Amino acid sequence: MSASTHPGTETLLRYAAGTLPAGPRLLVDVHLEGCPECRATVARLMSVGGALLEACEPLALAPDALDRALARLDRPSTRRNPAVLHHAEAAGATPPKRWPLPEGLKLPPGVVLPPAIASRRIGRLVPVAPGVRLGLVHLEEDPDAQVLLFRIAPGRAIPQHTHAGLEFTHVICGGFSDPDGHYGPGDLVECDAEVDHSPRVDDDGECICLAAFDGRIRFRGLLGMVTRPFL
Amino acid sequence: MSVQPAEPRVAASGAELSALIVAIATRADREAFGRLFRHFAPRVKSYLVRNGLSANAAEELAQETLLTVWRKAAYFDPTRAAASTWIFTIARNLSIDLKRRERYGDTYQAEAHEDEVDETSGETMLMTAEREARVRAALAKLSEEQATIVRLSFFQEKPHSQIAQELGIPLGTAKSRVRLALNRLRALLEDLK
Repeated sequence: MSASTHPGTETLLRYAAGTLPAGPRLLVDVHLEGCPECRATVARLMSVGGALLEACEPLALAPDALDRALARLDRPSTRRNPAVLHHAEAAGATPPKRWPLPEGLKLPPGVVLPPAIASRRIGRLVPVAPGVRLGLVHLEEDPDAQVLLFRIAPGRAIPQHTHAGLEFTHVICGGFSDPDGHYGPGDLVECDAEVDHSPRVDDDGECICLAAFDGRIRFRGLLGMVTRPFL
Repeated sequence: MSVQPAEPRVAASGAELSALIVAIATRADREAFGRLFRHFAPRVKSYLVRNGLSANAAEELAQETLLTVWRKAAYFDPTRAAASTWIFTIARNLSIDLKRRERYGDTYQAEAHEDEVDETSGETMLMTAEREARVRAALAKLSEEQATIVRLSFFQEKPHSQIAQELGIPLGTAKSRVRLALNRLRALLEDLK
């Protein structure tokens, strides 16, 4: 299989359908911020969702469903009101959350974290193997999601691991290679469970990347012991 | 699953449905809301039941979806998305949020997602009506089996096993057929450019 640097069609479809788990969904969000082509594909797939919704065999609601809905129209929302939110943001009352860089993460000049990640709390990066540091990205919407931020020294291998489902890796800066090809900033790599791979970071600079999993991940050997408290 | 039509079929065009949302936005038109509700709520419920929600939860979320349409109608831009696509997106976001709440309780409020459908980037020049028509044309060009695969891929949380079961094929074969069907869909959609 040749190297693909974009999410696969099935991943984009699951994203559009709303069935992709929170971790991979975040990585697709990050990719979409920088990829107009995939944004266009997602927009088309949303239209497919609309067409499929339109074609759904209607399933009758309770007889009083419309009356209940009409009665609720004038009641204030129990959910957060988006109009109010909008004004508050315009007035600068609730600036978008931005966490400071986690301890142990230094970004090269000119590199910033993608906005979808900068708005998340990231735990301190801890060394987990020679030349490899790892921090946990916290997802409020899914505390069990495993999204990892890796900082890996030049020429180092990303540690051997296996996983039950798909693995997604997004490159923030630097680059790495695996038997299929080379990946650089903005690329999103999907790897499936059958592949036992160990990508290697370029020699000319460190690589900062994100990883998320559709299924649980297991690292081998020492790294498995070190990361157990996180995973 | 027993499915009864909720309504005698009234053919409603995309433009008419969009006009109903605009009527809600501009003059809080309750009659327009009623018509929109009768058209979409049973479809949203059907979609959510296929998506794995119980009939009760689907009914509640269908209500919530249409109430969100009422509250957010001002965000709807008929030049950028079809009514069905916009409402699909709202139902999608609410169901993601509901699944999260079921697992983790109500400590987190999802951000408002009004902008999501707007993101059509390079495509904004293509009129929505035309894009929607072409999306339907692309779907019509799929073989029956491929159309089933696309529908199940969209609506099922674990589509591969469901597809294997419905088509009576091994899981491995299902995976490769899914790949073929989705690649074909994507190629057809990319002809839209």
